[in-house]
Amino acid sequence: MSEAAIRLEPAPRLRVVVCAAESSRRSALGRVVAEAGHLVVDVQDAADVVLADGEVPRDESRPVVMLGGADRDRPGMLPRQADAGQIDAAIRAVAAGLIVRVPEATESGFGAMGETDAQALLTPRELDVLAALAEGMTNKAIARRLSISLHTVKFHLESLFRKLGARTRTEAVVKAAERRRRETINL
Amino acid sequence: MTDQPDFLAQFSNALVARADAAKNAVVAIRLSHGRHITGMVWRSDIVVASEQSLPQKDEFEVVAAGGAVLTAKLAGRDPSTNIAMLRLATPLAAPSFVPGEARTGAVALVTGADGLGGASARLGLINLAGAEWHSMRGGLIDRRIVLDVDLAHREEGGPVFDASGACLGMSTFGPRGQVIAIPTATLERIVPQLAKDGHIARGWLGVALHAVAVPDALRETADQSSGLMVMSVVEAGPAAQAGIVAGDIILSVDGTSTHRMRRIGRLFGPDSIGRKAEIRLIRSGQVIAVQTTIAERRAA
Repeated sequence: MSEAAIRLEPAPRLRVVVCAAESSRRSALGRVVAEAGHLVVDVQDAADVVLADGEVPRDESRPVVMLGGADRDRPGMLPRQADAGQIDAAIRAVAAGLIVRVPEATESGFGAMGETDAQALLTPRELDVLAALAEGMTNKAIARRLSISLHTVKFHLESLFRKLGARTRTEAVVKAAERRRRETINL
Repeated sequence: MTDQPDFLAQFSNALVARADAAKNAVVAIRLSHGRHITGMVWRSDIVVASEQSLPQKDEFEVVAAGGAVLTAKLAGRDPSTNIAMLRLATPLAAPSFVPGEARTGAVALVTGADGLGGASARLGLINLAGAEWHSMRGGLIDRRIVLDVDLAHREEGGPVFDASGACLGMSTFGPRGQVIAIPTATLERIVPQLAKDGHIARGWLGVALHAVAVPDALRETADQSSGLMVMSVVEAGPAAQAGIVAGDIILSVDGTSTHRMRRIGRLFGPDSIGRKAEIRLIRSGQVIAVQTTIAERRAA
């Protein structure tokens, strides 16, 4: 085999430990990891990356992708509601020695009262749709909950994505949460 | 060699002298795990610090010039202007701060405490000196002062000096790691009030609000395109007593439209406490008005 052919070989399967307190969450994350083409291994096995839901053993020395949680020193930091694509990308990046952060999750400081452009303000209905998105509901479930048609749900989603500058449902939830954190005023 | 003065050496020596003098203007406020932040020695027994970085505790250990470790008690904090005040058990020889005026492009010497009784220093420019602004918590900051320096967390809260040695303010972190200064004028305004009451009196309705677009169907009746949606109501607060509930969209307070949030913040200064206010809002598709009395904000 020529050297060029060797170089073209796809990246090896990564061995991933999945840590989560709830067993349902652990199996859901395990499925995401397996479907992305990685191998789910036990915590005591040799592994390339640890995917941890909120908490990780203190003495864990392998690269960790955290989903939520307060430990800010890990190479991979994603929000808890990260989608499968983000989790896979973070696992590959962290295994390759890179650092992964969500841009909105940067440290906050003493800032000015934020004011969103009037055109980008969400309507009360869009906020309802957003709350359902944050719970991971499907379009059908959202339509049922809000007693509106599937078509109307899609219409609200398009408007939400445009106003928040988001491309995915997860990004919309994260950006809206960041906006709420910055712009909620207490009177 | 010529007898020409070496300007670079003079410049450097002048900075060294300033940094050395700053030792007496700063203390290290000890946090856990060997970390610290900086406090400014505002008066002989008063230290001011960055409120956002000061842990919620009543008593702190501070390291003063030369390494003496003193006890300091929390005397007040104001999240709206990011100013916290500590009172020292043992007075120090306080420097006198001459207030300086920030100008864009001027040289700024940013000082901090090294934790061992000495000072640390950073040199930069005033990246931007702008007008007054309102913080996220509704406090009025007299000038916008953005500095083009890096700052370590341990240096936050130290004095920022201009080239003449006048004090421009207290360093702190703005959003996204931006380094800003809380102007000396703001410190001069807030510290005496904190010394007197331990907090800054502000008007209070007991609601958390978030700007929303008014639904198209109601724009004409509401006569504005945005309002503030009530996200939560504090139990037994003035808003709760007036029957305001989560989901209401507030359109105006005493005739001042909520279309711009900053204007609303100004209605809730210390003089607003006890004042009756009419609140116009949207509830279930109707525009209604309710009466309430502005109370004093409870201690944070």
